[in-house]
Amino acid sequence: MAISFTLNGKAQSVDVSPDMPLLWVLRDTLNLTGTKFGCGMALCGACTVHINGEATRSCITPVSSVAGKKITTIEGLSADGSHPVQQAWMEEDVPQCGYCQSGQIMSAVALLSKKPNPTDSDIDDAMSGNICRCGTYQRIRKAIHRAASMQAGKAKSAA
Amino acid sequence: MLGAARLSSNVTRRNFLKTSATAGAGLLLPFHIAGHAGNSKNSGPLATAPFSPNAWLELSPDGDIKIWCGKSELGQGVRTALPMIVAEELSCDWRRVRVAQADLEPKYGEQLTGGSLSVRTSYQSLRKAGAAAREMLISAAAAEWNVSRSECRAESSFVTHAPTQRKLGFEHLLAAASVLQPPADPPLKNSSDFTLIGKPTRRTDSLAKATGAAKFGLDTRLPGMLIASMERSPVYGGTPLGFNADEVKSAPYVRAVLEVKSAHLTHQFGDTSGPGSRNYSCAGVAVVADSTWAAIEARKLLKVEWHEPPSASETFARLREKMLRLASESGTVIRNDGDFDQAHRAAANKIEAVYEVPFLAHATMEPVNCTAHVRGDSCELWAPMQIPGAAAASVASALGIPRERVKVHVTLIGGGFGRRLIQDYAVEAALISRDAGAPVQVVWTREDDIRHDFYRPAACHVLQAGLDAQGQLVSWRHRASSPSIETFYNGAGISPQAAAQVDSLDFPAHFIPNFRLEFTVAESGMPLGYWRSVDASGNQFVLSSFFDEAAHAAARDPLEFLLAAFGPARKIPVGNGETLDVGRRRRVIELAAEKADWPKPLTAGRGRGIAAAFGWGSYVAQVAEVTCDAKKGALRVDRVVCAVDCGTAVNPLGVKAQMEGAINFGLAQALKSAITVSGGRVEQSNFHDYEVLRMSDAPPNIEVHIVDSSEPPGGCGEPGVPPAAPALANAIFAATGKRVRRLPIRAADLGSA
Repeated sequence: MAISFTLNGKAQSVDVSPDMPLLWVLRDTLNLTGTKFGCGMALCGACTVHINGEATRSCITPVSSVAGKKITTIEGLSADGSHPVQQAWMEEDVPQCGYCQSGQIMSAVALLSKKPNPTDSDIDDAMSGNICRCGTYQRIRKAIHRAASMQAGKAKSAA
Repeated sequence: MLGAARLSSNVTRRNFLKTSATAGAGLLLPFHIAGHAGNSKNSGPLATAPFSPNAWLELSPDGDIKIWCGKSELGQGVRTALPMIVAEELSCDWRRVRVAQADLEPKYGEQLTGGSLSVRTSYQSLRKAGAAAREMLISAAAAEWNVSRSECRAESSFVTHAPTQRKLGFEHLLAAASVLQPPADPPLKNSSDFTLIGKPTRRTDSLAKATGAAKFGLDTRLPGMLIASMERSPVYGGTPLGFNADEVKSAPYVRAVLEVKSAHLTHQFGDTSGPGSRNYSCAGVAVVADSTWAAIEARKLLKVEWHEPPSASETFARLREKMLRLASESGTVIRNDGDFDQAHRAAANKIEAVYEVPFLAHATMEPVNCTAHVRGDSCELWAPMQIPGAAAASVASALGIPRERVKVHVTLIGGGFGRRLIQDYAVEAALISRDAGAPVQVVWTREDDIRHDFYRPAACHVLQAGLDAQGQLVSWRHRASSPSIETFYNGAGISPQAAAQVDSLDFPAHFIPNFRLEFTVAESGMPLGYWRSVDASGNQFVLSSFFDEAAHAAARDPLEFLLAAFGPARKIPVGNGETLDVGRRRRVIELAAEKADWPKPLTAGRGRGIAAAFGWGSYVAQVAEVTCDAKKGALRVDRVVCAVDCGTAVNPLGVKAQMEGAINFGLAQALKSAITVSGGRVEQSNFHDYEVLRMSDAPPNIEVHIVDSSEPPGGCGEPGVPPAAPALANAIFAATGKRVRRLPIRAADLGSA
């Protein structure tokens, strides 16, 4: 039976087993490989996407549970890397191997949407579910603060 | 599928982009500015063909410069640092450089990525490659203008003739340069003229990695590709006796259920293995299906009966007992200076301690994987690999085909740390593709990764040291025992010295008059491998911690004690062709201490610790600062200050990133990670029971200070790892008076002594 949802702003329908995790629907069925497989148990955060704006581990989310919902993946954040969080990531030269960074960025975007000016403690709370084995944590922290400033500047200039 | 290297002649940029992206070659364009072409006034006719004077670079008529990276990008930044070296000597506009991953081909020389060697071993040859092209472009311009080439110089993709103020963009010189003979020994720039090397430069791959566009091994997609999930023998070396193939094959979307034989693996530096070498891929049963989920789900239905080797009785507790016993007895002498026994008897003050480190898994974020397509007597591979040549040799041997018939594409690598030096997964994928008759991607789950790694050996160390009445170290004996990586790969026939997992290249050998180092192999069935910084990852924790114990036993400041032990600046040959420069060693220690405000007192419950290491051609010192609440068993690493002298820092921004990452990697082993074995089986399986460092564990601040140097480049991937754990342990002692002698650090270790 087809399951329908909104994916990166467009209507999407898939005909797969309802218990298949969203991660594998994205990667194998829809060929959106920016979302990564890391642990399969929601322990590492590499598979983080937004479901109705909430950072969610797609590796344990059955696709049936997202019917009718809005899903955003790293590919949906911007077409060209122009999202402030992506810009901040490049400015701070965050990635090393880069494998976890899609998930890190999706968690950071969700954090900033709730807390536009997060403290270090907010960052610890929101980001400690995302493992980076290369150890880019200090740069991730700086990039989140930078993105917060960029977004604040943008909001100010728009006001 | 086309690899980047096949496109070296006459291909448009658009096509190159398209094909490379399909091939997963990871083409990166962050510096490319569309529409920015050569703008010289007196331009000649544009060439139609690119200029490719050697394997490393190609200049296109549109002004782009394509540079191939012959090493694997594991995150350490080779796709930035290596092209910088070529571009520096070429004197081109860095913004026009595009980086492509080299496939496995002889023209790229040694394609092993490990040992913190990439920049060190490529530096001169890549400079020459860039300089040769530059000289040819200068010759072409000088001929065009009919002037002496000594009056011409190249800069930012132009050749200029200052006396007549003429200037030609490289793109106008391609045809003329192409017919010239490349100079065999082109002049290299003086380091004082560098405009790129030594300048902090952002990574060339961060746009792709921030947008999800970067293609890792697991992102390889081929037409008709199937996915395999494989059940491996839970005990290394076991083989399947029988399994329920029919039942599993009837599961949805399953195409095949196959037995996979174990195969010998070619060792990294060629096949040197002798009798008793245990270096092979796992035997098991592969479930091949249409999708990853289908393969993983169907695998849960598998019931396999295993033939298990004698190591199925191994437990960590018994191995630990054995190592402790062996490290308490005399072993193979690795180094023996002076007379330890006599000096130790006469020492005024003696200390003794036992140190232990566990087995460790690499736990790269990208789980192990390989995509293979076997067609007749040929095979094509796409995978994250640190030694594609060894993978090709292993696969050729397992399939019984000539090595030349194995084509290898190196993808972006989601973390290496030494795991991808052993490419058992390439053999698995090739055997499964052959038997399934289709292109197959083998996907390891995290559980597969943690349970079937090639582990950093566990070890026990027993140390004794003696101080004289003046508080000088006069005797030091270090006995260690662990399973041996060297016998695992090379067989039991190697000498006891060669099997040792300790060496005397580093401190405190050479600095204590009566010094004795001994080692005994503790046999174990565990598969072993190279883990970022290898032996030093554990040994430096032991050495720098016990040295700190000696400083406190002498009632001396650990920094002062350390510097006093080194003595004045001088150069000491330490073996293996390496020379320890004591001046450089002192300098990083002094710099780290100064930047960490070493003498400044800290409040109660806080402490600083220092540790330093020499290796891979580089010098590193780190000061860790911690806050401990001994009652609660709580510990926070407040900051780590690191000083590094890696000679010429090609990309200082990359060097800093490597030090930051190495410190966090070292802190993970200090605070979190351990592998244990029971019944020959690894007991951990995923990140809940094999923990690694998370954001909340990481120090809020890591400061890296790079010593300005024009010495040849040293390695940077590994040398930042070893000092992190002992700097932390020494800081804990300063804060609490409690000495940590076993990793990982447990809450109970912080309690009252």
